[in-house]
Amino acid sequence: MKVVGITTQQEVFVGSKERNFRINEFIIIEDPYQGDLMGEVVEAKTFNRYIPLNIYGDFVDGSVLESLKALGYNVDEDTIYISKVRLLNEALYPVQTGSDVRLPEFYEVKDLMIKSSKEEGLVLGIIKNTDSIAADMGSEYKNLLYTFEESGLIPQREIPYILDIKSMHHYPHIGVFGGSGSGKSFGLRVVLEELMKLNIPTIVLDPHFEMDFSQVGDYMPSGMDGAFKEKFKCLQVGFHVGVKFEDLSAQDLKNLLDAASPLTDAMSNVVDVLFKRRDSFISFHNKLQMLTEAQEEGSLDRITIRITEAASNDEREAWLKRKELYLTYDKTCPYNSVKGIMWRLKRLDNEGVFSKDIREIEEGLQRGKLMVIQGSTRILQVFSTYLLNNLYHKRRDYKDALYKKTAADYFPPFIIVTDEAHNFAPKGYDSPSKSIIKEISQEGRKYGVFLILATQRPTLLDETITAQLNTKFIFRTVRASDIQTIKEETDLTEEESRRLPYLRTGDVFISSASMGRTIFARIRAAITCSPHTENPFDELKNKGKEDDEKFLNLIKDKLPINDTDLLHVITEIEKESRVTYTIDNLEDRLMQMVDKGHIRKEETIFGYRYKEV
Amino acid sequence: MYSINNDLKEKISRLNNMLVDKYRGVLSLESCDLRNFIEKNVGPIIPISKLSKDQLLYYSQKGGIVGVDGSNNRMGGAYPHFVEVYQGLAKSTLYKDDPIFKTDIYTPLYSETKEDILEEDGRIEETEKNKRLSTIEVEVALEGIKKFKPYAVLMDGGFIRYNIYSYEKWMELRQECEKRGILLVGVIKDIKTSIIGDKLREEDAFVKECFYDRELLFGLLNYGEIIAIKDDATKKAKIGYSSIFMRSSLAPSVIGMDILDSQRDHIEEMAKLIFTLTPENSRGVPLWLDMVDKEVKISDAMMRGLMERYMNRDVYERFFLSERDKRTL
Repeated sequence: MKVVGITTQQEVFVGSKERNFRINEFIIIEDPYQGDLMGEVVEAKTFNRYIPLNIYGDFVDGSVLESLKALGYNVDEDTIYISKVRLLNEALYPVQTGSDVRLPEFYEVKDLMIKSSKEEGLVLGIIKNTDSIAADMGSEYKNLLYTFEESGLIPQREIPYILDIKSMHHYPHIGVFGGSGSGKSFGLRVVLEELMKLNIPTIVLDPHFEMDFSQVGDYMPSGMDGAFKEKFKCLQVGFHVGVKFEDLSAQDLKNLLDAASPLTDAMSNVVDVLFKRRDSFISFHNKLQMLTEAQEEGSLDRITIRITEAASNDEREAWLKRKELYLTYDKTCPYNSVKGIMWRLKRLDNEGVFSKDIREIEEGLQRGKLMVIQGSTRILQVFSTYLLNNLYHKRRDYKDALYKKTAADYFPPFIIVTDEAHNFAPKGYDSPSKSIIKEISQEGRKYGVFLILATQRPTLLDETITAQLNTKFIFRTVRASDIQTIKEETDLTEEESRRLPYLRTGDVFISSASMGRTIFARIRAAITCSPHTENPFDELKNKGKEDDEKFLNLIKDKLPINDTDLLHVITEIEKESRVTYTIDNLEDRLMQMVDKGHIRKEETIFGYRYKEV
Repeated sequence: MYSINNDLKEKISRLNNMLVDKYRGVLSLESCDLRNFIEKNVGPIIPISKLSKDQLLYYSQKGGIVGVDGSNNRMGGAYPHFVEVYQGLAKSTLYKDDPIFKTDIYTPLYSETKEDILEEDGRIEETEKNKRLSTIEVEVALEGIKKFKPYAVLMDGGFIRYNIYSYEKWMELRQECEKRGILLVGVIKDIKTSIIGDKLREEDAFVKECFYDRELLFGLLNYGEIIAIKDDATKKAKIGYSSIFMRSSLAPSVIGMDILDSQRDHIEEMAKLIFTLTPENSRGVPLWLDMVDKEVKISDAMMRGLMERYMNRDVYERFFLSERDKRTL
């Protein structure tokens, strides 16, 4: 291998007669004047001067090449390999043309590739095309993981990619971008597995109900079962966790209601006026209810009539209260706005948002667990606004107190992870969760609160937040607008961004400020698997089979069945197994079984008869 | 810049008319008439086929094929301030990593034969170039047959050139080939003969002018047809070799091939070999010779690079950098 052609201080071409180059491979140029220079292959080409099929404009056909081969000359052997190599650090002078080039030894690239140890960092995958260097690396970097290829699980052969989690302190926040099916969710899963291994307190917002880590992939070698059993907990909003109404401030409440459905100015005013700190859900709701009832009466006179004509003492009391509310609030709170607030409040309550609290989440974080919060996207938007505000300020209060040397309860640093992040922090319009995520993205670093945001549409993610993501995982992306965004937001080169639409599932460019360059890696095989991995079409098939078996079991001992006898069979089935069929229904099912070849239908002099095969 | 001198335009269209006039008679001949004439007076037109793979494998067992070509380039200005470089290459299909290169260099400023500079003119210059180039080609061919012991040697160019410019070496090569039983073949890309035209003039009283084979044969032969020229139709027989014409590709132009008289029996076989090695959609040159040609070629850039790298700058500028080389407009 030699440096060929015109060189610059940044880029050179390297030619070889024997060895083909691979993209993102590292090589060392032995410049006789400047010493060893390290470079990375950014483009690889092969060339055969006789098979450009064009010598002096002639088109060479295969038969002539075959004839030459028969004469003992194989054109293929005249192929040369050329690569464009970018130097990692700019050289002082242009590289000497003709310099020898060799592959590096592991120790020469170690510092460039590995910034952390497996105990302290996240072992996320392998660095592609490093197998030739990896041979002589120390055992502490070997056999850490498996990768998943077409042929199945493959033991590690390359240098591992270990994300230095500690560098988050200087280079906070991670973005995970990639289209659907690009391996983005799996990448996120692997990140979470690694966070659990290190017992880092983490909150996962999971709108897809997929971040369950109890099931180990059937492809993994045995002995991994229950690896994460004690390290995570799935909690559903409205079922396991919720908002404690008594803890809400007027602003919190407005955020929540706004997330349910946007508030008008008048409505926010209603909340400001009516909501008192320490109101319970019941008391606030009652207040709203009574005010509307009073307003529905229409005037003070009519309320007074209600009071005088009350049938019982309780009723009178109630109307007196309504009158009081009416007098205080009618002027400031228009009926329609009060109604709107009530409707939104009811909606949240129906979803169970107010039925629980977040203590379990806090406790989990305190113990270094991964807390998975599940719910529909909309409800997560509502809940996360409250939750993140709450937790972030707890952490912040603690840190501020430390600084001011006052006492405060300990609250640990933590990481917030979410898929479909563009729903929580959209570009172009305001959403309640956006403001807190933005705040964390800008100053979370100081308090040890970090974000890992995954999305398939980086273009739709708020720009201020995107700009704060110091490490980016970029999986296959096909949309031109997203590629454009990625190009603007990362240090991906032109060549690399051109490769984005063609990346294999699980292959990823990792652009990280702490590394100072982009690494081409492959995410390791996840230890656990998503509960949604069953193919829906397999599911249909299996489900059908199950139903058929059940039905066949029901009628097995009734066979043969005459079509005159159906009513009798129905009563028997109902008696035995409490399954009810109508005649049409049963006949239909029986015909289906005939179609599928499970039973046989034959004609007798008494009509049809269903028999065993 | 964007307007062309009208005078020039006129002259060119006059040339066109003259050519059309001159060739009207001959070119309006029915092509089958011309073919009949050729069959009768020049030699039979024979369709040939491509060689089978077995035949080619047999050749490779017998030592393969060697291609020979030469190239020259010149740097500098008018006589005597120039330097000319010659390079010859013999390359075997079997020993592809071991080609035989020979080089020579010539400048009137320093030549072994003392020349009277005042009497030099372009013709002698041309002769010198041809001599050196032919000699170097014959020399690499000689070395090639000794080293590679091939079944056949394909020379880039007709034999007549070697006969004229490099007689002694050429005779040595002929004898060596005959002695060793190596077939020696010359491939002529641009035929310059007028065999058919001469015959036409002899036989046909109406034909007064001289016509060349190139123009007469253009598009006349079908793909894969050869004309085996009879001895009495050409003067070449005297100097000991035979020739054929051949359309080796789909392009309408025709190439020529020379072979030693003593190896005449192989004439059709060698024609087939050339036909086999020529891509259908090419200019008609065997690919192997094209490859050799590409490898031997001394490009202008390489020439300049060599001069700049290995010559003192002041020597280079003083002697060889012409005014034309410095022109930038």
